[in-house]
This record gives sequence, structure tokens and C-alpha cells, in this order.
Amino acid sequence: MTTPIAATIQERVQHIETMPAIPAVFLPLLKMLGNSSEEVKVDEVVRLVSYDNTIAAQCLRVASSPLFGLAQLPKSIKSAVISLGLRRVETILLTCCLGQAFPAEKWALDPEAFWRHSLGCAMVCRKFSERLSGVDGEKAYMAGLLHDIGFMVNCLVFPKEFAAVMKRACDEEVSLYETEFQGMGFTHCETGRALAEKWKLADEIVEVIACHHSVELSQKAQPLVAVVHLSDLLCRMRGLGYGYYERQMVDLMSDPAWTVLLKEHRELEGVDLARFTFELDESVEEIHTLVATVFGAKPGKTQTAAV
Amino acid sequence: MTNVSQSTAAAPALIKPAEIRSPEIVDPVYRQIRDLVYKVSGIYKADEKLYLLVDGCGRRLKALSLKTSKEYWDQLTAQPGRDGELRHLLNEITIGETCLFRSQPQLDALRKVILPQIVAEKTKQVTKRLRIWSAGCSTGEEPYTLAMNMLEESEGLLKGWTVEILATDLNDRSIETAKAGVYGDYATRSTTEYFKRKYFVADDKKLQVRPEVKKLINFNRLNLQDDSRMLFMKGMDLIFCCNVLIYFDGASKSKVINHFFTNLNFGGYFFLGTSESLMKLNDQFHLVHFPGTIAYWKPSLSSGKL
Repeated sequence: MTTPIAATIQERVQHIETMPAIPAVFLPLLKMLGNSSEEVKVDEVVRLVSYDNTIAAQCLRVASSPLFGLAQLPKSIKSAVISLGLRRVETILLTCCLGQAFPAEKWALDPEAFWRHSLGCAMVCRKFSERLSGVDGEKAYMAGLLHDIGFMVNCLVFPKEFAAVMKRACDEEVSLYETEFQGMGFTHCETGRALAEKWKLADEIVEVIACHHSVELSQKAQPLVAVVHLSDLLCRMRGLGYGYYERQMVDLMSDPAWTVLLKEHRELEGVDLARFTFELDESVEEIHTLVATVFGAKPGKTQTAAV
Repeated sequence: MTNVSQSTAAAPALIKPAEIRSPEIVDPVYRQIRDLVYKVSGIYKADEKLYLLVDGCGRRLKALSLKTSKEYWDQLTAQPGRDGELRHLLNEITIGETCLFRSQPQLDALRKVILPQIVAEKTKQVTKRLRIWSAGCSTGEEPYTLAMNMLEESEGLLKGWTVEILATDLNDRSIETAKAGVYGDYATRSTTEYFKRKYFVADDKKLQVRPEVKKLINFNRLNLQDDSRMLFMKGMDLIFCCNVLIYFDGASKSKVINHFFTNLNFGGYFFLGTSESLMKLNDQFHLVHFPGTIAYWKPSLSSGKL
């Protein structure tokens, strides 16, 4: 990132001292997801979460959603870990932390729509990776969840410019990526990357954030980036987009990302894409419910945490 | 991590037991039946629509005087009578799917994405003609819906274009009803006031389609398995075939789909019912997505995807 625009983005992102309402446990949790062994982590995670009742309660509610596989509300974080495994619970916690980022003030991008898209994409990434051998589902989930964090940066750091870009995308029913590029000269991929680097996210996740609209630019994590790219498109076509109509025909199987993925995963040929799509619809309503009841805009939230 | 204690204190009570929905309990036999139905017909009832399948099975259980879903499963899978019963069930679960303006996402895709594409591609041709085929049009709801939507574009995108809609069905009686174009409350339940006022006249307590809409459509009896006649259905830009292929067995289904592919122009689209798919019966069509709907595309010559 050496262009003048990149420098501006980096400079502005460095100066975001606070993100609205991102819980304090978020960054320690992110760091933990990256390292250390299972045994140490269970207690550590339980300890971290015990500081934050909101996150703990949300985590239990989310864990009991059909999307995550528990039939009943678990009694504690520890019992959730026992039933779902540590990694699943960690990704749920991460989901809840990001869900807290609902601003009290108005964003250019409807926060609930943004949130449904992120959660939806995370679910589809995981479901997708279940069909591919040797792809870590929870990592794919995390990649899907975080792929668009650049939009958060846009809303916070470039509110005016991004509002104009958003309006144009809605009016012309075209993709945000396109109007961002035309209107600002950069996109959520660059701003997201700057934040991801500031947060010291894993290299693979940084690539997903930076390259999910241009898979060919990815160097270290092409298959993961491809999974996110395809899931992103599919979500936008199945009612989990940014809350407006996108005039677009999507041919997933002719997409370069599909070809990239097929090179390493011949099993992709066996995927019945129509059925995959219909099955995704089963999750859409639950995602709407979950976002509305658990992460819905809460009036007067002023809590902030340093990032 | 400076304000951990503050966030704890400010934590709102988010979880109310009443809000937690108990997971719906669906008899696993119905999921088995869903998979069977998908395998033979390509129709997939997602969980939120599974009740349609359960209701359909319920009516069949009653008709057959069966008591349990397991008994019905045996009926569906054991010879003799297996094929006949599957047909009955498919009838039950697709019934009531015909109405005017059945699928708004399909119409949006048509007007917002596909028409501009086709118009752009055909812009150099001398005769500006759009040909649409509603294959298995039943009592006419689909072709009339298409005709009205095309008329809406007649002063815009389709200015100066000729639109021809061909509507065919196997059943003579359906064709007669279709030609009459008279619909009651049920068939018009998804039709907006705007369209009702613009394209219908009152006929007793029902609504009749206006002549200028009918003028766009050619109704004909056609058996989709009649190979010699299928060969003549050339030059289509769009083909709609909703909940018809489900009644064909694998081999004849593939054959009909191949005909459709041949009958379409390059760059043309083939639409099925809302929860219907071709599975893997044809590898020439590209499965494509539009917001809220899927379709099958015969790649255009310029796309390089043939």
C-alpha cells in the first residue's frame, strides 16, 4: 500500500481510536483464536467472557439457534463448549462481539442488513467448506464473518463519501464495489485491509478481506478467498445482501473463483448448486430472526472500547 | 480493555425465555420423503416450506385411509403403485401454485436484468422481435402475467419491438379456460390494484383479461413429448416451464430439456417453478442466479462460455 490513496486510508484508520461498541473481549479473543493449545484456551475463554454478561448471554442464545446446532439453551459457556467444541464457541463469541458494533447513530449502510450479510456469508462459507475436503469450516466461517469489515471503516471514517456511494448503488441498483470504486477511488477491500492489519488479523483473513472481489490477487489463501467470494455472491442473490436490489446475473460455475477452487477440490464437481441454494434458504429466516432479536439496534448504546 | 466492568454493569437483559423458540419437531419420515421427491422431480421443499409437503402427505394419507407416515412411506417406495402414488403426491404439493404474478423475483429478473441484456444483444438485428414460450401454461395465468409485464415495457425498453408469447398445454380444457382469461379472487391474490385496473375488466364477480393483453398470446395444444412438433418451436428468447417436468420420468425429462435448449436462442433463459431445479440432467445449460430466483442460461455467442 504505497499509493497516495492507500496512505490516506492507512492514516485515517490509524486514527480510529474507538469502534462503536465493540466489546473489550473482542481483540483478546481474536488473538486467542490464532494460537495456543485447546486445554489452556477453554479456561481462558471462559474467564474472558465472564467479564461481559451481554456477550455471554448472547453467545448462549446464538448457540441454541438451529444454525449452530444446539437444540436447547446451554446453561453456561462451559457447557456450550462441551457440546459444541471450543472452536465453534469461539466463532460464536466473535460473532456476538461484532454484532455489538451496532451504532447508536445512523450509518450509511443499514447496520442490520450489513449484519445479516456478514452472518449469512459466514454460514454459507462454513456450509460450503463442509463439501470440500480439508477445508477448516470454522476458519471459513470467520473469514465470511469478517470479509466486509471495510464497510464499517467506510461508515466511520469516510461517512460522507460513503453515504453518496451507497445512495448511488441503491438508486442504480448496482454493486457497492462498483460505485465505491467510481465514487471514492478505493473500496471496502482497502479500508478493511487497513483495519485488519491494525487488528493484526491472521494473514489469510487479511487476504480474504483485501481480495474477496478479485480472487486472482490472492497469493497465500486462494481457496479460502474463493470460498468467501462465491458465498458472498450467493448471499447477495438469496436475500442476504445489503438491503437493496442488485441488477445482476450471477453465473457461479463460470466464475474464476469456481475454477480456482475446482483446481484443488475436484469434489466441487459433485455439488448440486441448485439444491445448495434451496438449502441456504432454510437459514435465511433464522438469520433474520437472530439478527433482529439478538443483535437488533439497541437504543442509547454508548459503550465503546479501545481498539 | 479499560471498561470491562462498565460493560458488565450496563449489560441489558437480552434473553427472555419466551423469545426462545422451541425447535420445530418434524417427523423424520417427511425429510426422507422430501429427499425422495427431490430425487424424482427436482422439487425441493426447504424447511420453511416443509409444511406444504407435510400437508400434501396428510391429504394422501386420508385418501388412502392410512394412519402413519411410515405406512405412507411404504406406499411411496414399494411396488406396485409406487409411481402412481408419487404422481398423486406431486399433484398435491404443486397444487395452488398457479396464480397470476406467482413469482415476483422471476418478473424482476426478467424486466430489470434479462430484457436490457437481450435488447442490447439484438440491437443490431433488423427485426426487433421477442419470443417467449410458456410451456405447460395450464389455465393461462403465466402467459397473461408475462404479457402484462411486457406491455409495461412497451413504451420503454421494448419500444418498437414485437412481442410474441406462445402458450401451450397438453390439456384441451385448460387451453379453453386459458383463452377465456377469466379469473377469480384466488388466481388474482398476488395481482396489484395497478395491474387489475389497467389490464382487466370486471366480469360478474371475476376479472377478465383485456383484449390487448390476449392479443400478444397464441394458445395451442402441444405435447412436450411430441418430438416432431418440438423441432418446430425454434427461436425462443425465453422459455417458462413451471411444475411440468416433474411428471416426466428421467429419460423423457432429459429429452424435453434438450429440446428446450435447442429451441432457445443463444443468450436465452429457461425458467422453472420456484423450488424446482434441473438437478444434473443437462450440462449445457448454465445454472444462474438473479436476486431471489434461479434460471438456466444458454450462453450467448459473445460470452465465450459455450
